[in-house]
Amino acid sequence: MSTEYVITYKAENLYEGPVHKAHWQFLIIPEQNTTQDLVSIDFKNSINAYDERSVNGFGFRSIRIRPKKEFDQIRFEASFKLVKHQTNPFELDSGLTPSEEYEKINSLDFKVDFEPFLRFTHFTSLPDNSQDLFKFRRDISIFENLQALNTWIFKAIKYSSEVTDVQTTLEQIIEHRQGVCQDFAHLFCALSRKNNIPTRYVSGYLHQGNGYFGDAQMHAWVEAYIPNMDWVGFDPTNNILVSDNHIKVAHGKDYDDCAPLKGVVYASGDNETTHSVEVLSQEQQ
Amino acid sequence: MLARVANNLFWMGRYIERSEHIARYLNVNYFSSLDAPNSLSQSRQFVLHSMLFMVGEKEEDPTKVLIEEDVLFKIGLDPDSPNSILNNIKYARENANSARDLISTELYESLNKFYHFSVNYPVATFVKNGLYDFTTNITEITSVLRGKIRGTLLHNEVYAIIMMGMNIERATQITRIINSKYNDALKAQLNCGEPLSKSFEWTTLLKCTESYDMMRRFYKKTPTSISTLEFLVLNPNCPRSVMNSLNQVYQHILLLDTNRYYNKSSTAFLVGKVKSEYQYKHIEEIEGNIKSFIESILESLSQISIKMEKEFFNY
Amino acid sequence: MANIDSGIFSSYKRNTDLFDELFDENGSIKSVYQELFDLYGAHSIKDYVNLNDKAKASFFNQGITFQVYGKNETQEKIFPFDLFPRIIDSNEWEIIEKGSIQRSKALNLFLWDIYHEKQIIKDGIVPLELISSSNNYLHQMMNLDPPGGIYNHISGTDIIKHSDGNFYVLEDNIRCPSGVSYVICNRTALKRALFGVFNHYKTHTVTDYGENLLDLLESVKPKGVDNPVCVVITPGMYNSAFYEHSYLAKTMGIELVQGSDLFVENDFVYMKTIRGPIKVDVIYRRIDDLFLDPLEFKPDSALGVPGLFAAYKKGNVTLANAPGTGVADDKAVYTYMPQIIKYYLDEEPILNNVHTYHCSRPDELKYVLEHVHELVIKPVDEAGGYGISIGNKLTKAEIENVKKQIKESPRKYVAQPIMSLSVHPTYIDKSESFEQRHIDLRTFTILGKDKEYVLKGGLTRVALEKGNLIVNSSQGGGSKDTWVLKN
Repeated sequence: MSTEYVITYKAENLYEGPVHKAHWQFLIIPEQNTTQDLVSIDFKNSINAYDERSVNGFGFRSIRIRPKKEFDQIRFEASFKLVKHQTNPFELDSGLTPSEEYEKINSLDFKVDFEPFLRFTHFTSLPDNSQDLFKFRRDISIFENLQALNTWIFKAIKYSSEVTDVQTTLEQIIEHRQGVCQDFAHLFCALSRKNNIPTRYVSGYLHQGNGYFGDAQMHAWVEAYIPNMDWVGFDPTNNILVSDNHIKVAHGKDYDDCAPLKGVVYASGDNETTHSVEVLSQEQQ
Repeated sequence: MLARVANNLFWMGRYIERSEHIARYLNVNYFSSLDAPNSLSQSRQFVLHSMLFMVGEKEEDPTKVLIEEDVLFKIGLDPDSPNSILNNIKYARENANSARDLISTELYESLNKFYHFSVNYPVATFVKNGLYDFTTNITEITSVLRGKIRGTLLHNEVYAIIMMGMNIERATQITRIINSKYNDALKAQLNCGEPLSKSFEWTTLLKCTESYDMMRRFYKKTPTSISTLEFLVLNPNCPRSVMNSLNQVYQHILLLDTNRYYNKSSTAFLVGKVKSEYQYKHIEEIEGNIKSFIESILESLSQISIKMEKEFFNY
Repeated sequence: MANIDSGIFSSYKRNTDLFDELFDENGSIKSVYQELFDLYGAHSIKDYVNLNDKAKASFFNQGITFQVYGKNETQEKIFPFDLFPRIIDSNEWEIIEKGSIQRSKALNLFLWDIYHEKQIIKDGIVPLELISSSNNYLHQMMNLDPPGGIYNHISGTDIIKHSDGNFYVLEDNIRCPSGVSYVICNRTALKRALFGVFNHYKTHTVTDYGENLLDLLESVKPKGVDNPVCVVITPGMYNSAFYEHSYLAKTMGIELVQGSDLFVENDFVYMKTIRGPIKVDVIYRRIDDLFLDPLEFKPDSALGVPGLFAAYKKGNVTLANAPGTGVADDKAVYTYMPQIIKYYLDEEPILNNVHTYHCSRPDELKYVLEHVHELVIKPVDEAGGYGISIGNKLTKAEIENVKKQIKESPRKYVAQPIMSLSVHPTYIDKSESFEQRHIDLRTFTILGKDKEYVLKGGLTRVALEKGNLIVNSSQGGGSKDTWVLKN
């Protein structure tokens, strides 16, 4: 069974003074992979500036815009059609015993191959006093440990969009125990990596209407690598495994690698940006 | 050539030219006033006000007593005064720095020496008794620079752009000097009853533009308002005249212009139009209304500069 | 014939504990220097001061200066220059040249490996930490094949001669090594001041650097381009190396651009000219990795070009040096150079490495903490001679302070025995005489597609403070013309 999605991403930027020069890069196009087929991409902006499709440094599809005339406001609207195939993550099994799994992840080759996703970055570094916040048990599988971690974070952190922003580090999140999907995902990455599991930060869209946390904007979750099982998605904000409700755009070491919108704008005075995301779905046979 | 670098070369030319005219204006006005025929032209205050007027820093209160050292410092060596000679030279060098890979080592070295000469000139000497020495050096070094520009650069686009800058600036400065001296002549008429057409200030004007000898040779008569203006505005053979500058601007824009067809929005078209306007003007049209002539030519020159920026330096 | 007791060398005090480049083991003047010594010795101090002042003025007037940013005003200073040249005979040069090329090639293979298979780490030759704890490792470069397979197109290798008479490498600079313009300017200045001395020696030219650099840039052009447009990109005229950037652009006859002169459209790079956009194929970049593209790296960088990395990744433009080379000039990588050379080239290192203690290893850390007074302590990731502590120059309190810093973050520091750099007679203004001063040599190696070249000269840097071992210009160092003799 599959689900057809129509996703609309809107952004509006208002500037106090005129903008002479600007560059933007959007990382909002859903990834083409085995669980999702991208059917169409439509992108427009209110000043009819030329947009070009490219890839970013990590190989994800991007849209770049460089207006050639002055403006003081600009609206972007992207819409994507996509078919998502249902998968059941619980059917997965590494076929290894826990100790075989741990032996594998502790090998040098494994650590070398997954170096980027074992690294402690600016957003995934644990403060000194929280290094052992969540320790894996050696008697259960990595998958079971990761599920436990998913639940633990969900319970430990209260979802709140009031407390944090895109600059918030783990130290503040652990102190206040509140945050948004991005913070849940960073904490998951940090604790999972601390237990030697390669883990990547994922940004994307979330099915709306199921009452999930974080569905009003672009969402963030994680993927952890389990030997013999490949990358498995976890959504700690909602304490669920990633399924056909999650539409992936990009992954990276942390938010910095996946920021949906990056810009260099030469303007004087204040500016205001608003984003919105709409995800409509329809089941297919 | 990079658009930004073209802009740098254009402004390098303008600033070199501008520093020369300001320096000469200070020099000539100060020293001709010492033995001027009427009491006003001889008055130090009159000269100081005139200097400020010329550099666009006019003192609104004509009765205000100016301090000579302050005025000379402000126009000559004040690092905080954007129009000072020192800053003009500094800007010229900064622009040259940015375009350094395109200009000759010889030109750069001269301009660099020029800058170090000015920046190291002792302020106390300058305001007390160094005015003659400093301004004479500035005008001489600018001549050297002009020689290096002509003699050590290929006469290609780089050269054409520098020459455009120098000539647009020359026409502008000559017009500003005419404006200042016209203003002074009016004052002298009002104050001492010296008839405008025979004012002593016309002689000073010609000296300020290094054109006195050429003019005497051409007319063989004492300068009057009409002959002076005719010479400085319309005579195509006087290398300091507005007409000559416009002709040079036109000649150099043709080197840059690649329009194969008639293009009324090009810089070349605009320069041609302005040039033709003055080519077929007679001096009575100007002499009757000097004020409006000055406004109109300055406006035309600024339009040319803006158009150049759009067509060539837009980056 | 002049000797040590007369002329301008009469007051030269030779400390025989130091390795003096002018003298052999018996204390007599080396034959290669004899003629130069005689020629210089024939001058009086007054003549010499006169020549020296003229040379300085020539640098100043040419604007070969760098800015010193003070509290109130910025000052322009010339890079101090000494008129007494350093001579390297052809036998010694052969070692230096071969050694420099060997290191550049090994580093290039190392970079390819750590951005692809990472076999050297998997084989246990170097630790994973070299990349996993390096901030200069760019993940964007993983599995990206730079044109021609070249990462470090231009390398600067800092080489010293120790008191044992052997050459040691102190540092490999493979980000944007600078200084090559001074090599050429030093030669020009010396020729202007003392052209006569050149008649007595057969010295290799240094002015062919520009053409070799351009050859290199053209050799790594993107696929499908016949006549590549090459440019030099600079952070701008306020950068301390701006003179060098403009010099190189000028000698190669190519444009010197700033970030704002370029733009990217459809993943191609263009420069804005008075005739509209022109496509750019190869960029010799003199701006750091993280400033290259604000959409990919540092978002607040105004120096770079938005979209540049995407164009590079697509293979539409070549960057020299490649982004991400900084990971290999980390001082921690330096310590593994003998193993790296052996691993990739199956050769013994031609130039020695200085033994290095890693403070990240507990037993070595212990040794370092006990011997700070006889070691040089270096931060792993600083360039330009910053943050270096020389143990025997420190007070007790300073030693304790250094120990504290090392203990706080051992991974940040390495330590080496204090190397005694050789000395060379250098004219000192203050004493109006020649004195012994420590020197090193930075060689410039170019690695292209089927191309290897080392500039036959290099930059001899001299520490002008008596006894000082740090020769970097940012630390008050000067330089000398360097003569490589023909066979």
